[in-house]
Amino acid sequence: MKHLPKHLQPRWRYLAVAIETWPDAGIGRRAFQRELWYAGQNLLGDPGGADADLRLMRFEIEGGSGGAIVRVRRGEVEAARAAIACVDEVNGHPVGLRISGVSGSVDAASESYLGDPAPSSTQREVAFEGADRPARRRDGAVDVDTPSGWVGATVQDTE
Amino acid sequence: MSDDAGGEGEANAGTDPESIGPYEAVYAHPEGEATVARQVKTAAEYGFEGVVVRTREAEYDPGTLAGRHGVDVVRGVEIDADDPQGASGAVGNFRGDCTVLLVRGGTDALNRFAVEQDRVDVLARPFDGTGDVNHVLVKAAVAHDVRIEFDLGAVLRDDGGSRVRRLRKLRKLRELVDYFDAPYVVSATPASHLRMRAPRDLAAVGEQIGFGADAVREGLAEWGRLAARNRERRADSFISPGVQRGRYEE
Repeated sequence: MKHLPKHLQPRWRYLAVAIETWPDAGIGRRAFQRELWYAGQNLLGDPGGADADLRLMRFEIEGGSGGAIVRVRRGEVEAARAAIACVDEVNGHPVGLRISGVSGSVDAASESYLGDPAPSSTQREVAFEGADRPARRRDGAVDVDTPSGWVGATVQDTE
Repeated sequence: MSDDAGGEGEANAGTDPESIGPYEAVYAHPEGEATVARQVKTAAEYGFEGVVVRTREAEYDPGTLAGRHGVDVVRGVEIDADDPQGASGAVGNFRGDCTVLLVRGGTDALNRFAVEQDRVDVLARPFDGTGDVNHVLVKAAVAHDVRIEFDLGAVLRDDGGSRVRRLRKLRKLRELVDYFDAPYVVSATPASHLRMRAPRDLAAVGEQIGFGADAVREGLAEWGRLAARNRERRADSFISPGVQRGRYEE
């Protein structure tokens, strides 16, 4: 179909979303997009979800940390913000999401608010609560693999 | 309740109640899946100005963490008892150990107990389990200066029927709190750093569920006001409850 003339094209805003999860969580682009749309539909309803759009433009995650760019119709940014806050798990893995900024273009959003991809996490043994445990360290944060599951800690907790 | 909730006549000398930023009240390892330090680090990155730690068993030094991450760290205790008798003993045991004392509700008896205790600061998670609130409880909360918590956790993490039921209860509580001008706090009740959400995102959720963004900000800041008030009361200037060292004391 012929595309719309410029003045009739929808105006978009692009939300930069910082993503955090456990280091071994397998989260794919399709799964994340599905959860975004579910969250939009569940919180905003079908019309609200359609208005917000919530299309995933960029998605990158590596070792438990990453970022995404989500497209939102202009004027629906606050509704989209609420919907994104309600994304709790992807493929059963808990995710921490924070909207780090809003821009008028994909590139501006990536450059201004996503920054460089997180420094790759390093695997090592750390002392945690009197025992040596395998852990992944990334930028001051340490995820410790304990018998009862992952525990989020910081460098200072493991010294 | 959106705009005028800051005007309580508390002895907030020295701290302007309007200037307090959002606080979050978190669980920490061993009760949750992140240590206090990780919760505080994340809260600082998310734009919170303070963290209330609900877990009594957590080991941490509030001063060190506050200095490292630049946010206020408040020692709290959330009492999780099966019945009012157990909770009553715990209130007496832990009141002196913490700045903010919470009682986890969840049954009608526990909710009722918490709002009728002057020594309790916050009734946390009143809708867990079978618990509910009504006008009697909200009036008691006003009389005893107990804050009732709006737990947004279920809104953020549930869906379907359980979320609908929780939203219904939250709406009922919101109308009651509005009518009686009762004190309240708001929290996402994060058990790990992954469950935390930024203040602005919580405000957006509040707007969507009809609560109002300003009301959410008020409820997040109320933790900070509460901590400041309790710290002042515990300070050396109070000789005994209600008796403060004044100008002429030397």
